[in-house]
Amino acid sequence: MEEVDKILIHALKQVGTEVSEETDSVRQFSSEMIVEAVVRCIRVINPGLGSALPTSLPPGMSARFRVGMSLAQACQDIGYKGEIGYQTFLYSNEPEIRSLLMFLVEKLPRESAEASDQPTGKSMVLQRAIAAAIRAQLAVPWLPTNCRLPLHAETQSPETLHSFHAQPLSLPYCTKGAGKKQLKEMTAYQRHILPPVTAQPSHYASVVASIMEQHAAELSAAQEWDTEWNSQGLLSRLTPQEYRSRKMARLRKRIEEQLHSASLPSPDSSFGGPRSTSDLSELLQTFRGSAPSDHILSKGTHFTHTQKFTFTQVRTSAAVTSPVPTGRHSEGDIQLRHQEELASLQLQFQGLCSDVDQLTVLDELKQRVLGNSEKEEKMQVKKKTITLLPDADNNLLKLQALVEASAKRVVNLASQWEKHRAPLIDEHRRLKEICSNQDLESSRKLSEIKSLHDKIRVSTEEAKKKEEIYKQLVTELESLPQDVSRSAYTQRILEIVSNIKKQKEEITKILSDTKELQKEINSLTGKLDRTFAVTDELVFKDAKKDESVRKSYKYLAALHENCNHLIQTIEDTGTILREIRDLEEQIETENSNKTVANLERILDDYKAIRQENSALAAKVREG
Amino acid sequence: MMPVSLRCPRLSPPRLHTLHQLIRHMVLSCKMELSESVQRGLQSLANQSFFDQSSFQVLIDVSFRSVLSSHADPGVLDQPKLKPIDQILLKQSHYALTTFILEAVKHNADQSTISSCLEDLTFGPERIETFYSTYQKHNKELKHLLASIGKRPPQIHDVSWRLNHQLKNEQVDKVNEPFYLISLNTKNEGSSEDINFTCTVEQLQDLVGKLKDAAKIVEKASQM
Repeated sequence: MEEVDKILIHALKQVGTEVSEETDSVRQFSSEMIVEAVVRCIRVINPGLGSALPTSLPPGMSARFRVGMSLAQACQDIGYKGEIGYQTFLYSNEPEIRSLLMFLVEKLPRESAEASDQPTGKSMVLQRAIAAAIRAQLAVPWLPTNCRLPLHAETQSPETLHSFHAQPLSLPYCTKGAGKKQLKEMTAYQRHILPPVTAQPSHYASVVASIMEQHAAELSAAQEWDTEWNSQGLLSRLTPQEYRSRKMARLRKRIEEQLHSASLPSPDSSFGGPRSTSDLSELLQTFRGSAPSDHILSKGTHFTHTQKFTFTQVRTSAAVTSPVPTGRHSEGDIQLRHQEELASLQLQFQGLCSDVDQLTVLDELKQRVLGNSEKEEKMQVKKKTITLLPDADNNLLKLQALVEASAKRVVNLASQWEKHRAPLIDEHRRLKEICSNQDLESSRKLSEIKSLHDKIRVSTEEAKKKEEIYKQLVTELESLPQDVSRSAYTQRILEIVSNIKKQKEEITKILSDTKELQKEINSLTGKLDRTFAVTDELVFKDAKKDESVRKSYKYLAALHENCNHLIQTIEDTGTILREIRDLEEQIETENSNKTVANLERILDDYKAIRQENSALAAKVREG
Repeated sequence: MMPVSLRCPRLSPPRLHTLHQLIRHMVLSCKMELSESVQRGLQSLANQSFFDQSSFQVLIDVSFRSVLSSHADPGVLDQPKLKPIDQILLKQSHYALTTFILEAVKHNADQSTISSCLEDLTFGPERIETFYSTYQKHNKELKHLLASIGKRPPQIHDVSWRLNHQLKNEQVDKVNEPFYLISLNTKNEGSSEDINFTCTVEQLQDLVGKLKDAAKIVEKASQM
């Protein structure tokens, strides 16, 4: 029973009942404790039922009675089959309470056990840590400001706080990696001038924030690159550097297009935004300047040239017009400026006109020069034919021979070319095949790599998860109370089981013994009956003839009857003995039920109720 | 993982390199994520040929000091022991070390996490021990430092109250109600402010009830 009680008390403590350290069996439970334990259990099992019940007994007797009744009702609602009433709580006896508590503890939901089986992940661990921190802070008593010790400084005294203010940091680059390309001045600056990172922010409070911000930015950039590289970069079959440069070119082109499309309409809308367009054009220029590998852009050079041209124009005019909106000027001023503007514009226009004129003249000149050279060539051919004309036949023959020779040579060359071509083509085909093979191979490898990446990711995630679970379990194990030793319980249970087995064996032995005895008795009685019947018959036969035999027959009958009586009495004493034993047992259980004490208590309570009633009646009369 | 990556030897070297990096990155990210530059800085710090034991110790001390000190000292790395080391390398390692310290404190890293993290970065056990002992020494201050970033509502420091009795006002001739005048003295970052209000008994009870509820909720949160 002790073990059972320990388990019960442990479970009750977990539910939240306050059980003092000394109590180690249900016998020591007072009525108050029983009520509290039962109510807490009911609250856990069925919050709706339990919330209406008080955890402590009220002082008034009638109120106590009512609490007992409602508790009994609640227990029956939960499904307790045993005998229960207000007396169970108010006038407790050990076995009843034990059975009730066992029933309730068994009914307790096993949430906590199941929750530990299911991994709830990092957040659970974090929440637990938070709970532990709050607990620790709650354990520290609050003190007025003047009495505070450094111990409380963390949680209670308001110190100065800084907002999270990050500043960009300049980091020295690694000499191993990108350092080869770096400028000498840059390295010199980094070596001698650049202050260490902790000295860079202007205010010491932002040192920590800046460093953490910098690190987070680096991490997220690396992560983004990773995901992009895995999703797109690998498929493009480029080295990372190539991929990067291509992407940069693409981006630059896109930006440029956007800027162009944004800047194009602005010159048309007169002086709508002269400042911004000039800024834009400057931006475009810088783009052009900083783009060393702009093969794509070279196509649009003509366009950009004209663009530049118009932009510079606009800019000069903008320089003139910009003072307009700056303030209020007199009409004359404005007119004057307009005239100036007009003059300058006219000047420009004239200049442009002359430019255009010059351009057309130049074009003409070029065309004429071209025409001249063509004509000169034609003339030379004609000159040659004219010199050949006088000796026409001879020259014709010579020419034919020449033509034939050249034709032969062409055929010869063609055959030679064929000779060379065939192996070359073969070679080409072979190489092509190899190429495609390699392509196939590489794509296969690529897919392999991809699957490998996926595998790596999955397994790292798994490892992460497992590690977390492990950590969580370790913390749980640490937080578990150490007083319940599982092995002891199991040992105990095994002992009990073996005991029960032994007892069972004994019982079966006794049962078989009794059966045998019963059998023996039965056979004996049968034998007795038979012998008696035989003797009875024999003696009865003789008794008719002989007087003494008749007497002996009478004696026999009497003897038989007496023996029967004896047996009956023996059996009766057996049953009586058994009854006595039963009664003794009953007495014992009644004794253990504290009946006398409970009766006394009932009497007292009855008196208390009567007193209450009389007091109430007196009050009513007074009122 | 390794044998599989060896099975495709035709891979171009840079790609293989990134694969290894990826693996390393993923393995590392199980614990505390460190960026590439920080990892490199720490690796060079672990390298015996760059930093010998004494200069390592000095740099660790200097890094903790530079994070914790309330004034930014540009000459913090001007130590006689650190003179022979390349200044760029030194600055890198300093940045890496300060970042590592702050990240470790941010994650509330314990000894096993720190040592496994540093082992991955080729630190020897002796150096890990050196780092950890210094880290332990400054742990509280560093936590304090990180906790000092943020905002906090004003805190109540004192309460003064007065129970008044209202006899009448312009609307009602006979009020006869008690009411409380309450003044909460609050402080926030040195500046103090008084919050004054009046309330009836019921309102005060309501306020007290709300406060009790709040306390209960905090207690509940502590019993996870």
